[in-house]
Amino acid sequence: MVQISLPKNSKVEKGEYYKDKTGSKNIRKVNIYRWDPSNGKNPRIDTYEVDMDNCASKVLDLLNKIKNEIDSSIAYRRSCSHGVCGSCAMNMDGKNGLACTKPHAEIKGDINIYPLPHLRVEKDLIGDLSTLYKQYNSIEPWLKNSKKDDNKENLQSIEDRSKLDGLYECIMCACCSTSCPSYWWNGDKYLGPAVLLQAYRWIIDSRDEERKERLKKVADELKLYRCHTIMNCTNACPKGLNPAKAIASIKKMLATT
Amino acid sequence: MKDKNPLSPHIQIYNWHISSLVSISHRITGIINIIIVTLICFWVAYLLLGNSNYEIIQKFFQTYIGKFLIVGIVWSFSFQILSEIRHLFWDLGYGFELKTSNITGLLVIFGSLFLTIIILGKSLTL
Repeated sequence: MVQISLPKNSKVEKGEYYKDKTGSKNIRKVNIYRWDPSNGKNPRIDTYEVDMDNCASKVLDLLNKIKNEIDSSIAYRRSCSHGVCGSCAMNMDGKNGLACTKPHAEIKGDINIYPLPHLRVEKDLIGDLSTLYKQYNSIEPWLKNSKKDDNKENLQSIEDRSKLDGLYECIMCACCSTSCPSYWWNGDKYLGPAVLLQAYRWIIDSRDEERKERLKKVADELKLYRCHTIMNCTNACPKGLNPAKAIASIKKMLATT
Repeated sequence: MKDKNPLSPHIQIYNWHISSLVSISHRITGIINIIIVTLICFWVAYLLLGNSNYEIIQKFFQTYIGKFLIVGIVWSFSFQILSEIRHLFWDLGYGFELKTSNITGLLVIFGSLFLTIIILGKSLTL
């Protein structure tokens, strides 16, 4: 259901202000969404003044600097810091992306950092993605092939292999799904761009033998056709992939076969 | 997850861009157009009841609100038609690249204004 306003317990309040203590002249304000599960209060926005002369280039570096030097209580996910693991997906400057690949120089004015949109917050910038993982599981993202000969390679032509380009690179960071208004309103039923891109990745794989069953499973008013080509997904994808096109390809396959 | 956990902000904080703007406008103009077509049907049915009804409607369209409505209706239809053509190309599998979709989105926005001017200009000279 479309619900524009946030529930009562999710209304964001003004938080604390951390003044710069280094005396630096190159200061930027960073506004970060905070929620502490232990005290029963509403979420708040804390503002940090950060010395940019001694800060590396990415938003994740900025967060690490705040955590190391100003406020160690702040919680966020991160791991590889090279845009491969997808852990540090968050909303920066009103757009989803990976904190480790987003340069803070690209952001004008104050730097606003929120968790991925429309998720249940576990703490600070950490959202609960368990629904998305369940949906990912539901499309059975593994190769289904009846060939039993384990001693042979399962060969693919160059042409068939190239069909997976732009699909296999997906790191499941959930930037696209949580940017999608359709997924915000119908996230419990609509599969969302990330999972549908993965579904297409297995549908189009020439080695997979259950293309028809996969298509049939996904052909559902709510699971697939809630995509209205708003294009937020493609705009958000930090890997430059095109989930909107993948979804359209599934629709086209269903219409033509 | 339990309801005690807050929902992270979504539409309140997410940036708008060309495609999302065109998408929401497409929906809004679609709903407006349904209402307008219904009203036009009533209008036509009304005409059957005599020319005094025609004069009432004509007088209404000569007021500022009426004139604003006419411009609005023409724009709403223009926007819907151009945006629908964009959707048709998408349905065929074309135009999903970010650059292309941004350009076609701009074409829909400016094209609808252009089409409004042309249609109104043409009908004024008739």
